[in-house]
Amino acid sequence: MRHRRLTRRNFLAGAVGASAALALPGVAAPQIKKGASLRLWILKTYVEPTNKAVEAAAQRWAQKHGAQVTVEYFTFEDMQTKYVAAIENKNTPDVGQLETGAPARFAGMGQLLDLTGFARQVEGDIGKAPANVAPVTVIGGKTYAIPWYIMPAFWYVWRDEFEKKKVKLPQTFEEAKTAAAALNRPKDNFYGMGQSWNRTADGYGVMQGLMYSYGVGWANKDGKYQSIKNAKMQQVMKWATDIYKEGVQPPDTLSWTGSQNNENFIARKIAQTSNGPSITFALENALAKATDAKDKKMREEALANHVALPHPGGPDGRRSWGLALSFGVFKSAKDPEAAMSLIAHLLSPEETVKVMNDSHGQFSPVLDKARAATREYFNKNDNYRNFGRAAEWFVATGWPGPVTAAAAEVQASNVLTDAPAKVIVDKWSIDQALEWEDKKIKEIYDTLGA
Amino acid sequence: MKPWKLVTVAGLVAFGLLVVVPFWWIATMSFKTYEQIQFAQSIYIPRPFTWENYTGLWLDTRFPLWFRNSVITAVVVTGITTVIASLSGYAVARLRFPGRELVATLILVLYLVPPALLFIPLYRVLAELGTTNSLMALFLSYPTFTVPFCTWLLIGFFKALPTELEEAALVDGATRPQALVRVLLPLAAPGIVASAIFAFTLSWNEFLYALIFIQDETMITVPVGLNLLIYGDVFHWGQLMAASVITTVPVVALYMFIHRWMVEGLAAGSVKG
Amino acid sequence: MKRQRQEARTAVLLLLPLLVLVVALIVYPIYRAVWLSFTDKLVGYPERFVGLRNYIYLANDDAFHTVVRNSLVFTVASVALKILTGLAMALVLHATWRWRNFFRGLMLLPWITSTVIIALTWRWMFDAFPGRGFFNSVLLDAGILTRPIAFMATPEGAMAAVVIANWWRGFPFFGVSYLAGMQSIPGELYEAASVDGAGSWRRFWHITLPGLKHIIIVTTLLTFIFTLNDFNIIYVMTRGGPGTATQVFATYSYEVAFNQLRWGRGVTISIFAVPLLIAGIALVSRYLLRERTA
Repeated sequence: MRHRRLTRRNFLAGAVGASAALALPGVAAPQIKKGASLRLWILKTYVEPTNKAVEAAAQRWAQKHGAQVTVEYFTFEDMQTKYVAAIENKNTPDVGQLETGAPARFAGMGQLLDLTGFARQVEGDIGKAPANVAPVTVIGGKTYAIPWYIMPAFWYVWRDEFEKKKVKLPQTFEEAKTAAAALNRPKDNFYGMGQSWNRTADGYGVMQGLMYSYGVGWANKDGKYQSIKNAKMQQVMKWATDIYKEGVQPPDTLSWTGSQNNENFIARKIAQTSNGPSITFALENALAKATDAKDKKMREEALANHVALPHPGGPDGRRSWGLALSFGVFKSAKDPEAAMSLIAHLLSPEETVKVMNDSHGQFSPVLDKARAATREYFNKNDNYRNFGRAAEWFVATGWPGPVTAAAAEVQASNVLTDAPAKVIVDKWSIDQALEWEDKKIKEIYDTLGA
Repeated sequence: MKPWKLVTVAGLVAFGLLVVVPFWWIATMSFKTYEQIQFAQSIYIPRPFTWENYTGLWLDTRFPLWFRNSVITAVVVTGITTVIASLSGYAVARLRFPGRELVATLILVLYLVPPALLFIPLYRVLAELGTTNSLMALFLSYPTFTVPFCTWLLIGFFKALPTELEEAALVDGATRPQALVRVLLPLAAPGIVASAIFAFTLSWNEFLYALIFIQDETMITVPVGLNLLIYGDVFHWGQLMAASVITTVPVVALYMFIHRWMVEGLAAGSVKG
Repeated sequence: MKRQRQEARTAVLLLLPLLVLVVALIVYPIYRAVWLSFTDKLVGYPERFVGLRNYIYLANDDAFHTVVRNSLVFTVASVALKILTGLAMALVLHATWRWRNFFRGLMLLPWITSTVIIALTWRWMFDAFPGRGFFNSVLLDAGILTRPIAFMATPEGAMAAVVIANWWRGFPFFGVSYLAGMQSIPGELYEAASVDGAGSWRRFWHITLPGLKHIIIVTTLLTFIFTLNDFNIIYVMTRGGPGTATQVFATYSYEVAFNQLRWGRGVTISIFAVPLLIAGIALVSRYLLRERTA
């Protein structure tokens, strides 16, 4: 079974590779001097094989061009602060992988090279990104980064728990909340949901998904500040705080670190949680490491029973926040041509497929040809098919407006998750919390302009 | 007398447990597998016992690099500190010059300036010097708290040493440097060693400056690395415990040799004054 | 006379390294800190002078009010616990002969351990997961609890947890200092008191405590200063959470400066603690100096 798939994949990769090879010379045209040396910053995901695969792809470029690439990592936790420290210390990398709000933020600081021309070339060779992803990289009409893939969030559930209590798998946030109440069994140390409003993507990402699906945004279509003190946001806050008040979550949920919802889900202490595909990876990994037959059976069941549903929708639609990762070139780069060549190499369908094979479904490429090349990979099972569709539901920070420096600041300031925390921990009223949150957001927009 | 004896023994046992139990808890967890921790199996004594966290830590993570960085930093800072503190301590304790007591007070005051106040502007200064993201930033910033403390300690220590031997050597025609080396140094050795150990420990355990001044994951020190492991990567509880054990062992070992001196040093600094 | 001048010159020479270090890396940054507090520096953007805006903002900010309150609660509670336990420990060790050195050494272990490790250790002691949390494991196994308690999930619980970690780390220093202090109280005083018929409590109250007065005051002031500005333990255990329940000066300053990137405001937070600091430092130096020159 595996052999056959491998052959088909090879064939496909070969076919794509051939056409890419025909197309690539256009992109590889910028001549790189031998001995170019680049610093590349990439995101360290929870799936170690992926990180190694990206590094390997970069090294392949280095070998091909007689150049040198030093790869350095940043994590989910420090991705904001690490770049900012580098900017302040004037030692930014040459090529940096940028999360959703970063191109807007850093272009606003005048740190990124204008890649509009290069972007056109890439478009010709590898294709475009879908319309809802493009705003991440286009700021003020100019392109400052080239998008590679999206790391989406999904709604993980234990199917057998739902079947036991005959509850429908949730499609909306309301359904998820009702399901949580139905599945809740605190006496057995099992809870219906695990959604922490912590300062990680699992926190502010889900809050944004919730807000945007209810049709609320703190910026309008033009990217200017708008008040969130309205009825829809009240509903959002109510959902966010009800799940704590109603006792359907473990008591320490609010103080979870980024990985604790993964652990609680895998340890079967919660029935539902939002997360990226790293949970699937963890389960696949556990199965691969299983020692005896009993262990193996248990892990196979776990793998079969866990479902990665599309992220819940709200009255205004299904909008899911995700990390859109793109590559930008910092103005400090001494060899911009080499930098662009490296980016083109990493984004090529050929290299993308190689990285995808070790990604365990974590990310969904966005450029046309790369998407096509990896469709086969995502056809594995239902969960993976959902993974592959991530771009459909993706919205960026600052919806419905473009991604601006101010919008990125709002996300980075943690005000989105601090607000519900104030209601839950400090016992503020929802009105008070919204008043506070709105004031903070306005302050950011006043300081940074729109 | 009997009841007091009982109370004393009970007190000793209580304090003993109070100190030992948390250490034991960590050590125990360092010998468990991820599953044992996650699923609460064999909680108090790990069965089966495993070394995989220690090997995994050493082979699969950047811990060896962090350990190396911590060692280099501690050694260099201890060297710088001991030299400066000894010279300054001697000057204040033994030499007569105007403003002597003022200097002594200032040294104490400096020790009390909190890193929490300095860290932001210090970061800018070090960045402007181009030293951030390298151990040099620590070599420059750590002495700001190790030197005042060790100097204060050594002032107290030097003051408590008899001056007659030194005076005798000077009368005999030795120059001050000669008197220093031949007479004072041997006498002061315990104090200087204690001061060096303090500097080492302070440097080994420091966290805030190391967290802020260095971002490169291959250049950070152990405390920062541990913080990364818990908040960054997933699922490595056992390794985190193993790292904690490995980090604490050198200091405890050093300390077992010199704890008598250390206590004397503490006492000299705070009691005799 | 010549000897005096020569000594003074030597002294300056010997003190030069210290002077350079102090001016370049302590005094100059303090000056920069004060300057920064009058600007609106946001990382990545150039700074602008804004006068007292940061100070006014913080004075009216409820998050900052909470920070001040938390810092005082944290400090006072830890210091009080440390003094009391330190006294108890000193008394116990003082009454021990055979194992005294061993125990004295053992008790100093928390003091020499890295605070990051201590913070991690206590984070797990209080963890809500039975496999990781010591208290939950023991209480569940003993049948006292049926469900694990999330100690650190409430504001009060989190504050108690960080106070306990800070106390555990610090009380041995007090114990050892008080022990040394007790050992320098002349035995005759006790004998005389016994002869007069004083019981152990009165001996303690009228001889031991006064004899320790100097050292109690000094250690209290010193630890007050350090604990008020403590960063490590709270940052690693709770990051200042849940919400702002355990946020103190140092952690809030870090958060504002490095997460919100507002350096102007971040520095101002630390500066607010300075008056308390100066008072503490002044008292300490006066006390210690008085004893030294006496």
